[in-house]
Amino acid sequence: MYKHLFMRPILLILLTLWTSVVFSQTEYAYETFDDTRVVNGHSVETNLEGVLTFIISHRFGTLNLGAYEVWGLDNATMRMGLDYGLTNNLMIGIGRSTFEKTADGYLKYRLLAQSSGDRTVPVTITLLGTTALKTLKRFDGIDLSLQQKLSYTSQVLISRKFGPRFSAQLMPTYLHRNLVEDDEQNDILSLGFAGQYQLSKNWSLSMEYYATPGSALPDGSGASPEYSQSMALGVQIDTKGHVFQLHFGNSRGMIEKFFVAETDGKWQKGDIHFGFNITRDFTVKGRRVR
Amino acid sequence: MKKHLTIFGSLLIFSIAMIPAGFQRSLDASTPIAALLFDLGEAKPEHFIEAPTTEAILRGEEIVKLGRTIAPNGSQSSYVSKYYTCTSCHNVVREDPDLTVVNQDARLEYAMTNNIPYLQGSTFWGMVNRETWYNDDYVLKYGDLVRKAEKSLKESVHLCATVCAQGRPLEDWEMKSVLAYFWSLQMQIGDLNLSDSEKKQLAGTTLTNEEKIALVKSRYLQKSPATFVNPPDNKKKGYPYEGDPKLGKGIYELGCQHCHRPEGESDVVFDNSSLTYKWLKKHIPDNSELSIYEIIRKGTYAEYGHKEYMPHYTLEKMSDRQLEHLRAFIEHPEDAN
Repeated sequence: MYKHLFMRPILLILLTLWTSVVFSQTEYAYETFDDTRVVNGHSVETNLEGVLTFIISHRFGTLNLGAYEVWGLDNATMRMGLDYGLTNNLMIGIGRSTFEKTADGYLKYRLLAQSSGDRTVPVTITLLGTTALKTLKRFDGIDLSLQQKLSYTSQVLISRKFGPRFSAQLMPTYLHRNLVEDDEQNDILSLGFAGQYQLSKNWSLSMEYYATPGSALPDGSGASPEYSQSMALGVQIDTKGHVFQLHFGNSRGMIEKFFVAETDGKWQKGDIHFGFNITRDFTVKGRRVR
Repeated sequence: MKKHLTIFGSLLIFSIAMIPAGFQRSLDASTPIAALLFDLGEAKPEHFIEAPTTEAILRGEEIVKLGRTIAPNGSQSSYVSKYYTCTSCHNVVREDPDLTVVNQDARLEYAMTNNIPYLQGSTFWGMVNRETWYNDDYVLKYGDLVRKAEKSLKESVHLCATVCAQGRPLEDWEMKSVLAYFWSLQMQIGDLNLSDSEKKQLAGTTLTNEEKIALVKSRYLQKSPATFVNPPDNKKKGYPYEGDPKLGKGIYELGCQHCHRPEGESDVVFDNSSLTYKWLKKHIPDNSELSIYEIIRKGTYAEYGHKEYMPHYTLEKMSDRQLEHLRAFIEHPEDAN
């Protein structure tokens, strides 16, 4: 009569397992970073299941533009995005940036969670795969194919929370661009570093740096401008349902291909962009277990 | 032969005459209180369910603990609430060592001894034995919103699902399942701490049925009293009690951290770090929900776009003295060890 009843013991077993996890002596690190982004790039964090995040980001012009341009505030690029937690460890996201009219999407999976106690795992590892589609028309009128407009990034995000205040993250990164200028490389390997220092319960400092090899970045002698390594510093304010990230960096793009390989600003010249990310979470679905 | 039959018949009639009127149930610790009361002539309540099935009880348990279950048609039901399960605010086990009084200190000690969450809502254990729900100040404050729920467990479940949990109404089969589960958590004679003489009185003929009902009901509360209280006038000074950080630690772990845990009901995680304690301590005097006095005594409200909120603790669920215990722990967590 109740052919579905075989599911019930399974659910109760899951409940029991959940209970045993809750009462076991293993403690998992949480909030290693305040948000799913550090500054431009991703952190190891993923949305909880059923949580939809609206993220709006701006990067303004450089500070060295002076008072007439209100130190860059008159020139803004913007990205709007939606992130969604399919499970507590798997999330997807899409976005559209005004910078080179680029659309992007990503898939992110937390493979391993830092824990201590009965089960000790020293780091959290999250895998990230992104795709970007540049839709800006070329100045010479050449119509590019879809393939030529695409670029891909794969990252292994490895982080450790060293205590309630400090977290650090390594980001080995592989970037592939289908179409590049003659003086650029299709494939780039880079290593990112990020950190967050918690000043108080709601306020924290963050930094992000991508050590892209100089040999992979054009020096300005060819068709491409001179590109630099990306570095950013910021402050984050975590409020109920919102995270505000305010930062300064030399990258204008908010998508991996731009800040890993196409950062055209130099800190020492004052090519520093003020920017912010604001996120808002919406619970759109219940969670399997809490 | 005729003589023997006469003697046997007389003994039978005598034995029947000796059976207490209207009472056929043998009393043991596992006798459900409701069954005893029904035998004594008590009317069955609206939420009574005749012989709930195991399937219904299991379904009800899953709805209460997981928020959804497998429907009788074999499909997965949707979550009753996106934000909470019933156990976010309610226990499913006994909470009070003495069922006849509201004693917050005894309940906290019982919770700490048995590792039971210390929550705002009343336990579902014995819920079917209550006669009113959403009592006292809930009625005074919310009026018509809770008036039906005060007199009806079904209406209370409905109100809890749709308003308190910001979810959807239960379907008929879900309501029956939840009630079936509640009936599996009903009080039994053994829970009442009856003395031997009281048991004899219940089993004997010296008391009328009405007196027996009164005796049984005198051993547990038929409602959870609810008194809404304000934060202290001067939050820097707090309530006029000295707090015990060890008891405060119990409240923090079994109460606050029940929801303010990683991946819990609340976005705000209360861990055991100095950052969290300092933040809580800093906001104690605030006239906002960031103050433990304000949030515990008033709670927060569901807002458009952010339905998650915190229900307040009534005086019966956390005394003023206990709030000072919590404050003492937040201010001096090192003294709790």
